Amino acid sequence: MSGPWLVLDRVSKVYGDGASAVVAVREVSLELQGGRFVLLMGPSGSGKTTLLMLMGCLLKPTRGRLFLFEHEVSALDERTLPFLRRRYIGFVFQTFNLFPALTALENVELALNLKGINGREAQRQALALLARVGLSERLHFLPRDLSGGEKQRVALARALAGDPPILLADEPTGMLDSRTGRQIVELLADLARTEGRLVFMVTHDQRVRDLADDVLFMEDGSIVARESADDLWGAVFRREGR
Amino acid sequence: MVSLARKNLFHDRVRFAVALLGIQFAVVLMTLQIGFFLKFMTNASVLIDHIEADIWITAKNLKNFDFGLPFSEQKLYEARRVPGVLWAEKFLMGFSYWKMPDGGQETIQVIGFDPETRIGAPWDIVEGNLDDVKSFTQIFIDEADRERLGFPRVGDEVEIIGQRARIAGITRGAKSFVGSPFVFTSFKNALKLSFIPPGQTVYILVKVAPGYTVEEVKEHLARTLTGVDVYTKREFSWKSRRYWLLVTGAGIALLSTALLGLLVGTVIVGQTIYASTMEHLKEFGTLKALGASNADLYRIILAQALIMAVIGYATGMLLARAFLIVARRAGLEAYLPLEVLAGIFGLTLLMCIGASILSIYKVTKLDPALVFRS
Repeated sequence: MSGPWLVLDRVSKVYGDGASAVVAVREVSLELQGGRFVLLMGPSGSGKTTLLMLMGCLLKPTRGRLFLFEHEVSALDERTLPFLRRRYIGFVFQTFNLFPALTALENVELALNLKGINGREAQRQALALLARVGLSERLHFLPRDLSGGEKQRVALARALAGDPPILLADEPTGMLDSRTGRQIVELLADLARTEGRLVFMVTHDQRVRDLADDVLFMEDGSIVARESADDLWGAVFRREGR
Repeated sequence: MVSLARKNLFHDRVRFAVALLGIQFAVVLMTLQIGFFLKFMTNASVLIDHIEADIWITAKNLKNFDFGLPFSEQKLYEARRVPGVLWAEKFLMGFSYWKMPDGGQETIQVIGFDPETRIGAPWDIVEGNLDDVKSFTQIFIDEADRERLGFPRVGDEVEIIGQRARIAGITRGAKSFVGSPFVFTSFKNALKLSFIPPGQTVYILVKVAPGYTVEEVKEHLARTLTGVDVYTKREFSWKSRRYWLLVTGAGIALLSTALLGLLVGTVIVGQTIYASTMEHLKEFGTLKALGASNADLYRIILAQALIMAVIGYATGMLLARAFLIVARRAGLEAYLPLEVLAGIFGLTLLMCIGASILSIYKVTKLDPALVFRS
């Protein structure tokens, strides 16, 4: 698809109503397309995670319109949203969210099963995905026996199950040391550049800004600033390694 | 599909063991109490159900079989004249006393039948010849009551209310509901071994002739005979069972215990499944983020319930069997036909699924933000 994959048109999300209403996301408009690695930064409570949930079809906007490919998510009923998530979106979480009772291979297989891929084909694809993230030697390990970096790699392989065009990552380096964190972010950036995916990552980590194609800044529910690697400022950031 | 339900269950073995214990407790309690209850109900009408009569004529306002009251034998001849009666026979049941070897006495129920027609005779003879009861003082006792009666053997002489009697044989499956052993003999002998006066009978058994319905002959008998009640076999059987079930409350007590087992089991299983769901709530949220629908999540919870039900039922039944073996040695029998065992499995399944409903509700209300919290 040549146009934008994900379009937010004056999207707002309000929790509660009346005097106790809290506006988590305020009239955000965005157009995102494939092959880009986009960072979303901002202070805690600025609405980053809510925006990620809206983009991931885990929440529906209170106001505004949200399009995922040709689908107007804001107009769909709740029962259709799981279908969109299965088809278009892969999630990576800060705390990995692996299933503790399942091995690395089974964690990835389960995600494939949910997308309708079963049996030997699921196993073949799970093996390939784990090889893609460099974990072929840890297939039958339970999450408790894996390091933080390895867990996040399994989570990344799981997010790639079913080949979703969009990856949404919520602070994927938050539980990792800086070296491992950077390796994971490099992997995510690589998935955008070499495989043409849209990778959208929420982070507080300034050190990985140089890897991004676009950086969005959020405050009080609104996008307050944008940077692009194509901009001069983006070039300066990359040169200075900030 | 990778069985997340099974793997999650077996991953936390202590929790799984607690849940199994709850199900086993419910299964054992339900099986024993329902088994005892059914045996109790079967025993309450054991003779009525085995005797081939279609209609029973009893004294007026009789409460149940075991409380039989005598009435005039004349009614027998009146009954035989009623159209549609193929045959009618007198049948006696009277309480009496058996002198024990240690000098004590045991209450017994003397059953008197016609040895020529054998209507009302014991149906399962383990040892001996029924024709022997034609002779004076020959009796049959049930194998289940031998211990109660001091282990008499065939050929032994015993004393019943001062009369000498000889054990002619042993029956099987004729255990009295009230606990007093049945002693079978001819009607003539029974009059001597009980307190029923001569010229009286306790029941009249009637067989309906071909071409007549039981209902029409019953109505005809009821109109013709005065001072007695007339029941179909089914009515009298139910009347006897109903008395012990509802009037005395004994059956209700057994059923209540079975129900209690079901409730306690449901609470334990429900608590376990709910705790497990709460513990894995974030995993359910992750599944949702991965594209699982609510129906997928319900399937996982229900699969957990199903696995627990099957394992809990199988192991619970083994335990129940062990308990029943011990109970049988103590003289307590249970009646558990295949359909009842299937019914208990159904109840176990229902219990486990019912216990999952709260978990399903919780998952339905899952906050998607949960998966993003550290």
